[in-house]
Amino acid sequence: MASSAYCRRLEAVLFAGLLLAATPAARGSEKSEKVAAGDSPAQSVPDKQKQIATEASNMPFVYTKWEQFTTKDGLPNDHIFAVKVFGDYVWVGTEDGLARLNKKTREIKCWREEDGLPWRVVGAIDVHPKTDEVWLGLFGGGLARFSGGRFDHWHQLNSGLVNDVVYGVAIEHDNVWAATTAGASRYNTVTGEWSIFTEKNAPMEEIWNYGVCYADGLVYLGVWGSGVLEYNVERGTWKDYLDPDGEMEIDLYRDDGIMHVITTGVSYVDQTLWAASYFGVGRYDGRHWRCFFAHESGLPSDFTNAVKGRSAHEAWFATDKGLGVLADFGTDTWVTYTSDHDAHKGKAVVQRGEKIIAEFETMLNLPHNYVLWVEFDGDDAWIGTSKGLGHAIGECYFPRLRNEKQIAQAIRDAIIFRDATLHRDATVREPVANAEMQNSE
Amino acid sequence: MVRPICIASLWLLAAAPVSASGPGVSDRHPVYVGVKVCTQCHAGKAAGHQFSLWRASPHAKGYASLWSPEAKKIAELSGIKEEPQEAAACLGCHATAFDTEAWEKEDTFHLEDGIGCETCHGPGSEYIDLAVMSENPMEHGLIMPDKRLCMICHNVKGSHVAILASPVFDYEKALATIAHPATNGARMTPTPLPSANSKTASPGKFKYTGVMACAACHKGPMMGHQFSKWRMGKHARAYAVLGTSAGYEIAAKEGVKGDPQESAKCLKCHSTGAGHAAADFTDGFDVGDGVSCEACHGPGSEYSLEAIMRDPRAAREAGLQEVNRQTCMPCHENAHGANFDYATAMEIIAHPTQVDPNTKPSAHMRYKTPLNMALSPDGRELYVACEASDTVIVVDVTSRLKVAEIETGGQPTDVAFNPDGSRVYVTNRLDDTLVVIDTKTRARLRTIPVGDEPHGVLTDQAGKLIYVLNTSADSISVINATTLKEEKRLTASRGPWSLSMSPDGKLIAATNTLSRFVPFRTPSMSEVTIIDTERAVVENRIVVPAANLVQGVDWHTGGTFALITLNRTKNLVPMTRLLQGWTITNGIGVIWRDGRVDQVLLDEPDMCFPDAADVAVSPNGKYAFVTSSGSDRVAVVDVDKLISMLEAATPYEREHVFPNHVGKPTEFVVKHIRTKDSPRGVLFSRDGTTAYVANALDDSITVIDVGKLEAVDRIDLGGPKEITKVRYGERLFHSADITFRRQFSCHSCHPDGHVDGITYDIEPDGIGISPVDNRTLRGILDTAPFKWEGTNPSLQRQCGPRLAVFFTRIDPFTPEELSALDNYICTIPRPPNRYRPVGAELTPAQRRGKLVYERMMTNDGRIIPVDNRCVTCHPPPYYTDRSRRDIGTKMMLDRESKFDVPHLNNIYDSAPYLHNGIAETLEEIWTRFNPYDQHGVTNDMTKDQLNDLIEYLKTL
Repeated sequence: MASSAYCRRLEAVLFAGLLLAATPAARGSEKSEKVAAGDSPAQSVPDKQKQIATEASNMPFVYTKWEQFTTKDGLPNDHIFAVKVFGDYVWVGTEDGLARLNKKTREIKCWREEDGLPWRVVGAIDVHPKTDEVWLGLFGGGLARFSGGRFDHWHQLNSGLVNDVVYGVAIEHDNVWAATTAGASRYNTVTGEWSIFTEKNAPMEEIWNYGVCYADGLVYLGVWGSGVLEYNVERGTWKDYLDPDGEMEIDLYRDDGIMHVITTGVSYVDQTLWAASYFGVGRYDGRHWRCFFAHESGLPSDFTNAVKGRSAHEAWFATDKGLGVLADFGTDTWVTYTSDHDAHKGKAVVQRGEKIIAEFETMLNLPHNYVLWVEFDGDDAWIGTSKGLGHAIGECYFPRLRNEKQIAQAIRDAIIFRDATLHRDATVREPVANAEMQNSE
Repeated sequence: MVRPICIASLWLLAAAPVSASGPGVSDRHPVYVGVKVCTQCHAGKAAGHQFSLWRASPHAKGYASLWSPEAKKIAELSGIKEEPQEAAACLGCHATAFDTEAWEKEDTFHLEDGIGCETCHGPGSEYIDLAVMSENPMEHGLIMPDKRLCMICHNVKGSHVAILASPVFDYEKALATIAHPATNGARMTPTPLPSANSKTASPGKFKYTGVMACAACHKGPMMGHQFSKWRMGKHARAYAVLGTSAGYEIAAKEGVKGDPQESAKCLKCHSTGAGHAAADFTDGFDVGDGVSCEACHGPGSEYSLEAIMRDPRAAREAGLQEVNRQTCMPCHENAHGANFDYATAMEIIAHPTQVDPNTKPSAHMRYKTPLNMALSPDGRELYVACEASDTVIVVDVTSRLKVAEIETGGQPTDVAFNPDGSRVYVTNRLDDTLVVIDTKTRARLRTIPVGDEPHGVLTDQAGKLIYVLNTSADSISVINATTLKEEKRLTASRGPWSLSMSPDGKLIAATNTLSRFVPFRTPSMSEVTIIDTERAVVENRIVVPAANLVQGVDWHTGGTFALITLNRTKNLVPMTRLLQGWTITNGIGVIWRDGRVDQVLLDEPDMCFPDAADVAVSPNGKYAFVTSSGSDRVAVVDVDKLISMLEAATPYEREHVFPNHVGKPTEFVVKHIRTKDSPRGVLFSRDGTTAYVANALDDSITVIDVGKLEAVDRIDLGGPKEITKVRYGERLFHSADITFRRQFSCHSCHPDGHVDGITYDIEPDGIGISPVDNRTLRGILDTAPFKWEGTNPSLQRQCGPRLAVFFTRIDPFTPEELSALDNYICTIPRPPNRYRPVGAELTPAQRRGKLVYERMMTNDGRIIPVDNRCVTCHPPPYYTDRSRRDIGTKMMLDRESKFDVPHLNNIYDSAPYLHNGIAETLEEIWTRFNPYDQHGVTNDMTKDQLNDLIEYLKTL
């Protein structure tokens, strides 16, 4: 079966990567001496060397199988601002319309203004997990709800929404939060009450809200100029995370807080906050901040448009120069995805800190290196870029790192599981294998 | 004669509120201090006995007078269900600061003081300071009332005219009656009320607590309104009369020189506790209360505790005195030369501690008003939701007899069984609840809160989930039938009404009675909401174009379509088309499973089918029975003929011809069956041999033999046999008999006394001038004038000549009919406010919004002209000054620029807004339609201030 063959090829690639990582040449420059931050800072030099050797034998999962969707496939526009997966559908917000991709049938249905979409630019999407209602943040057009084929529209003239330029939307219980250019709005869908959060009632020095997310009773706002704001739903209290260095675009005192107050995105998962800015990214575990920069990590660029945390250990960063995946926080292991459209091929670089430990040449992965959004879909991921939607297919995906045996076992398990699934549901369509994998050697 | 302790404490209290603020409210919000604080300066001879003049006036009895049977009748006539002394509509003009929260009133303030100083002069905390009063009190909130302010309450009220036959209010005369000028304009100084206490007397064992301490318990219907009866009596005015000219005259005759209120001789019998030491009075005591409770019953400090009062012996030991002839005679025997008959006097002041039969809620007729029914799965019992009796009635199908009646809660509306028949679910539209009833024990098991005004209810096929349509919240509650907890709330359209499940159990179709909002002067667009029962989510929203009042629904047994009832209101054409049978047409719709819609009329050229209310499909799929609540009939639709007719037609005919074709019903309506008054719900027996129709205004069920297509029996649900005037009016309201070709009833545009949500061109010009938004009839009695142009001064005018001119085009109602109709409309109650339950404090947002509502200055410090403040035109309690105002909303189609100021009660529930319904939301009133600050100064407001204002408006 194609999938089994695929996993076996992956197995070969990763084994090759392990071998590659074990060679001194692959470890490359003096940067290879760097040990992942946060792990046993008091270790002696021999211990460090031993640890490096051990870590080099562990590899992250690398997405080598990709597919792309553009207007040629039926998307209304190639500027993809938001992606949300819910059930069988992938909802895609573009610069000129909303699209719904059926993962099973591959059918794409579009809504533009002439189809009832209240505003052409769909900048944010969330889906109410209980009602299936799709909430849209409309960039310049307010907020919309899509339910049963009908759009309902709220904007600053017909409702309490603070501003029509909506960057982010998040569902919290019966509330819908909207991050707007003039503050955050919260709409209670049961009582109809609108609340506005600005500098008047929140620690929001600037009111330009770029992103919002909700998890575990906490709402996080990423604010242009006010860092990250945390709202405790139960208590109704605010907490701010600001850059202790002020507005300096370097981290003057290492890991003392968020990288910069101009925050572009937030994601909270497994009690871990991931924050993105135009000057680097950060992670907060409730006690410690850890910041990452392009010059010392796999982050393709400090200019980060969005972030999505997959777990406390893994986060994906959408930057202007590619997709940076922190695959394992504990070992500072990254996978960086970029595409070369002229050559119609892509590249995945595995890095531990600033040390490159493996490189895989793939076929085209990202539709474009200007990445705007990331959405997880089980083992898969969907990537919104400025020239289409990318789909990273995570067959045999495993979290964090695996050594040789573990990878082999994981792949075997995945094959067994997938074969069983395929056997059970013969209608499941095989993912399009559009990327041949090659060993970087 | 001065009690320094009391005075000091009063001033301390009075000073405190200046900086008092409620949660989330900025400092220096004025608060109410109460009459007693004003009295500190405004009593006594130097102040022209202003306090006494007030105390002897009707204003001081404003609250107390609400205990009277007449007050109760006025409330009933106005559709007010609460005790008048607890009803906002009554307290708004019979008390001070009824709409304030606790933090806005000092401890010295008492609602029971009725219409006190601060009703007319504004809350006093900011201007009572002597220095402020002397210099610039107006700048600190002191109001000198004018005619406009007085007329807010004294404008003629239909309810009061009807019960009290009160004469027209003469402003000048009334001013003279309550005149209370300060003597020669003398500068006021703190000269508190003189007291009857003695400087020489020794402190006694018990202290006088004052009448308000007693009133805390001894008021209300359960205590025979004791406080109010006292307050209405002469005893309460005993001290005050000493300050009147009559008091001076009598005192002079008795040899008293000077101010009688300072005479120990007068005070002995005109006050309480005269001669006692100053230490015998608590701060709460007020000599101004005259001869109060403790004058006869003894100082109450020790016995006033409830536990002691409930133990007669303990109460006696604690100082409670038995009242007898000896108690009264020392003061009344030969007083001022008048004869005193003890027995008669006792009758006059009687205030027994028991429910006064005169104050009991009148034993008005309790009708049943059956609306909807459900048949048990075994087909043996019929459960009938009876709106007026707050019950579900159980009918044995075999014997056709009522076998049980179960209390459910306020206004039960719909009823449904679970699949095994062990439970029944009932929606209570008034209480916003779902009641679970055990069918074996007939006992209520649980009451579950749901959304506003729940209407339809149904379970899924497995009985695991219960779907409840929240009509006023435009949502659908999904309740887990095991845990009886709401799992989620789905979005409906506007006014979700009834639901029906497809035979395969996969879909539920829910009708929505109101159209979606549509652009100005465009046809209605109603919706049938389709729910996927497997995932309990909305799967589709099927548009029914140009239809409104989509209410009844039933799936055809074949499962390929559902039938709905609908109106097709031609609200965009002038009412002159009435003669052409083209105002409101009535029919049914076919909702195909794939989302297609067909519409056909049930009206025929010479006889319409007004107010199609419900539809039921026979188990064999042959017939659909449709009720017409406006003409007391059931239409029998031959479903095969209907479908054949549709399938044989062209798409154009189906879309454009059939929906408006009054000649088509004869092709598929095989019979009309007469029912009793106002048939609503209809259903078939399991075997399909019998159908049942709930006659809402006859308290009965019509039984139809399906084989014969004839009504064969009437099941009496046990309502009163007598038809009251109000009930008669209700029947007229729901009957289309008066209208040309029986096209529509009052109910057609005002379903349930409320609104159909659309805009009409009612004028007879024939060219579409002056379209106006429909307005609710709930609680409107005292909000005259009527019509948006404010041209109808009374409901009689509105429903009489106007109706004949514009609507009926034939004979108008007779005077008797008109009177009954008027009576019914008056009594249509206003539902409880969902955004501020009775007694609830305001939320922080609502509290901030109230400040915006009452603000006098813009954000940048400009004074807002009085006429451009919210509260000026929308003053409580009805939030209308009942005037006509130009707020800049005149449009090209309007002939007037001034429009009636609408009341704002439950304003959240009557969208769209403004005279032509052009504002879909409250926000749009100001964001879109107030560009020049003519409808209040609002353009300086921030978005959050507007949000707060709207949150407050929703509480009114």
